[in-house]
Amino acid sequence: MGRRRRRVDRAAAAGALPAAIAALSRTLPGGPSPETFRRAKFDRPEAAPALWRLLFCVLSPVPADGAAASPAPVAQARLVKSELRSQGYPRGSLARLPEDGSQGSRELLLALSWLLARGPLLEQLLAQTRVRLGDEMPVCECEALASPGPPAPHVEADGCVDVRHLQWLMGKLRFRWRNLIASQQEQCALLGKIHSYTRGCHSDHSLGHLSVAEAELLRDPEGGRQVRAGGARDLGPWGSDQAVVFGLQLLQRLESENARLEAALEWRRRELVFWQWMDTVLGACPPDASQPTFLPRIPARGASELELVAQELQALQEELRKAAEPRRAAWEARVGGWGPEWKAAQRACEEAVRQELAALQRSWEHGGGLAQPHGPHRLVRSEAGMLGGPGLPAAEVITVLRSRKACLEVALRQLQGQCRQELARLAGALPGFIWIPPPGR
Amino acid sequence: MSIVTVQLGQCGNQIGFEVFDALFRDSHCPQGLCSKRENEAYQASCKERFFSEEENGVPIARAVLVDMEPKVINQTLSKAAQSGRWKYGQHSCFCQKQGSGNNWAYGYSVHGPRHEESIMNLIRKEVEKCDSLSGFFIIMSMAGGTGSGLGAFVTQNLQDQYSHSLKMNQIIWPYGTGEIIVQNYNSILTLSHLYRSSDALLVHENDAVHKICAKLMNIKQISFSDINQVLAHQLGSVFQPTYSAEGSFHYRRNPLGDLMENLVPHPEFKMLGVRNIPQMSENSLAYSTFTWAGLLKHLRQMLISNAKMEEGIDWQVRPPVSRLPTLGKMSLNKELHFNTSIANLLILRGKDVHSADLGGFKDPALYTSWLEPVNAFNVWKTQRSFNKYEKSAALVTNSQFLVKPLDKIVGKAWNMFASKAYVHQYTKFGIEEEDFLDSFTLLEQVVSSYCNL
Repeated sequence: MGRRRRRVDRAAAAGALPAAIAALSRTLPGGPSPETFRRAKFDRPEAAPALWRLLFCVLSPVPADGAAASPAPVAQARLVKSELRSQGYPRGSLARLPEDGSQGSRELLLALSWLLARGPLLEQLLAQTRVRLGDEMPVCECEALASPGPPAPHVEADGCVDVRHLQWLMGKLRFRWRNLIASQQEQCALLGKIHSYTRGCHSDHSLGHLSVAEAELLRDPEGGRQVRAGGARDLGPWGSDQAVVFGLQLLQRLESENARLEAALEWRRRELVFWQWMDTVLGACPPDASQPTFLPRIPARGASELELVAQELQALQEELRKAAEPRRAAWEARVGGWGPEWKAAQRACEEAVRQELAALQRSWEHGGGLAQPHGPHRLVRSEAGMLGGPGLPAAEVITVLRSRKACLEVALRQLQGQCRQELARLAGALPGFIWIPPPGR
Repeated sequence: MSIVTVQLGQCGNQIGFEVFDALFRDSHCPQGLCSKRENEAYQASCKERFFSEEENGVPIARAVLVDMEPKVINQTLSKAAQSGRWKYGQHSCFCQKQGSGNNWAYGYSVHGPRHEESIMNLIRKEVEKCDSLSGFFIIMSMAGGTGSGLGAFVTQNLQDQYSHSLKMNQIIWPYGTGEIIVQNYNSILTLSHLYRSSDALLVHENDAVHKICAKLMNIKQISFSDINQVLAHQLGSVFQPTYSAEGSFHYRRNPLGDLMENLVPHPEFKMLGVRNIPQMSENSLAYSTFTWAGLLKHLRQMLISNAKMEEGIDWQVRPPVSRLPTLGKMSLNKELHFNTSIANLLILRGKDVHSADLGGFKDPALYTSWLEPVNAFNVWKTQRSFNKYEKSAALVTNSQFLVKPLDKIVGKAWNMFASKAYVHQYTKFGIEEEDFLDSFTLLEQVVSSYCNL
């Protein structure tokens, strides 16, 4: 009886592990195949690249979207190592892996499970790639500032630049700004219309109205399927093939997100058997031999070691001071030789820096500091007078943005003043020239 | 995105009517040479830009009519209402009972401030009807009294109150042998003020349009209505919908913004002109066929030789062989045969528009040295034909084409000013001699900048 049950258990267990790994692989973004996991246990080199890629995707600070080209394996490996180190990953063997991405699948598998065990990794990944159905609006500049932006235009070192070309480009930039403002106003007006027309249509009463994506999906949910079916396309009353493509994409994304969520739920049910298996993987590793030199290990009895460290630090500081003193003296001598106007300039500089720091401090405090909202928010139109509910009132966001704008305007005026002073200095430096400024705006 | 039109004075109101009529008739033309769905999209785009909707479905032109005497405005309103297909808003006009005697200063310093609030209120009401405002057209003559002085004042106000919106002034350049003695004073004052407060000055020369009517349209007794219809045709061929990008079938949202970005970003070069081809009477249209190659070849030569129409083009003018940057001011005594362009915008409408070969316009020799053809030349296209022309092309150009006429006007005005003729009529109403001098300085600078291309 007992033996049969054990055999049944083992058979069940034999099927449970592949299912668990399969669920995990479906949940992870671009997840490596279950085969990769199996190969990694035996440290097969062919499993390494996929695991490097996966760890890079999971650990990179900017959520990598499909459009961005993934960097070279060396860059990926470096980022993975440094991120793991900064999060406190204890195994030194990983740090010693070659960066061409050709080896170390078992170490990478251990690192992955370490990350999985530490915190809600899967939930974080799923939240990052969530399909957003609302009309999103950023309330801070973080994303814009973090993104790399377009590559700088190629500027030829030689060859004189015709100032008219520069003026042309400046003017073009100004017009683009104005056109951008106009189209943003148009977008806001149209969003307002859609939100007010669809009031009462949303099943979620806290939202109350539909967003553009939701309205489009309701209007033409089958649009995507018809395209796939091929044949003559009925473009619908709007006559727009873009709307069809949009519907198709949205449907696909919702379906794939659904699949990942189901996989995540299945993983949670089955993960125990995975952890039992990981124990065997860890057992299969050779012991992590050498001391990790980069991580300070605080031993149980630390006093003597700490003293050693303190002494070393002091010695280093002494050395630095001895090296820096003569240099500083030489610099002061050079600078002092320039006379009182240099001292005045230095004082003015220090004063300016002090003022800037004070201004920064003020703006930080005014801006609410940590309470500053971040990230994209969904636009929800509510009835006048209805307060409360989650999220930020638009008036608050507007106030914050206005104060930021005021700070930037002050900075702009300062810079313009500096430019004017510089121009005046240049103009004064060339006697006999008459400067005709361009016709004022 | 919508454009609000301000029609000023007799000239502005008569032309404005023809423009709206031409736009409406074209957008409802059944022979669009394209599918029904595309025609509907074209119509919708044109309608959103220039007309607003009323309850009973009759489109209302997005326009404000301003004049100091009631006669022309009443005529314009009734002509529009008569057609039954579109009309002007009931409360969109402002007029007084007196004229301004062709006195620029009176229009600018008296009429302007006195009626500023009423006029700007009307404009604001029209703007509020728009979902999104692309910008303003201001149609006015340069040399008359009401249109020119008041127009300069209104444009300045628009600059102050709607600084983010775009402003294009449609300026009617007077006949060289005009009847108004002080037309040159009016012209230089108008131009200099507009140069400071407007984004682009699209110039229509009366002489040129008159010749088109005579030679190409074969009209014997040319009335202002004929001239205005040709003008409206030119404007319509620029601002009717076009595709937003190569290979796209969506119509451009903001043609005014795109045009300005491509043609007038430089603050010293704001003078634009329109040339279009073909231009003929409706009777001849039925017997003519065109090829893109032929049309573009003629249009290119029209540009290079500064011809105003497709007849009588000087084919001897050729682009210079070497393009060296010119240093110093070129003497105007040297005949400017070759018309150097800063930037050009070509608009093609009609059948097989994607097959048109545009190489001739991308020749660097056509353009000034500091701008490459890839930046200087732009093209807009649509398959939908315009105004029953199976193929038509329009060219909006920022080039030297106005240098000579401008220099002539400045010269004549200066001669009059040097002898102080009629200046008291202006100083009487607050336009001092210094204002005249400022205007001369600015326009001399403009002429010089264009010459140094």
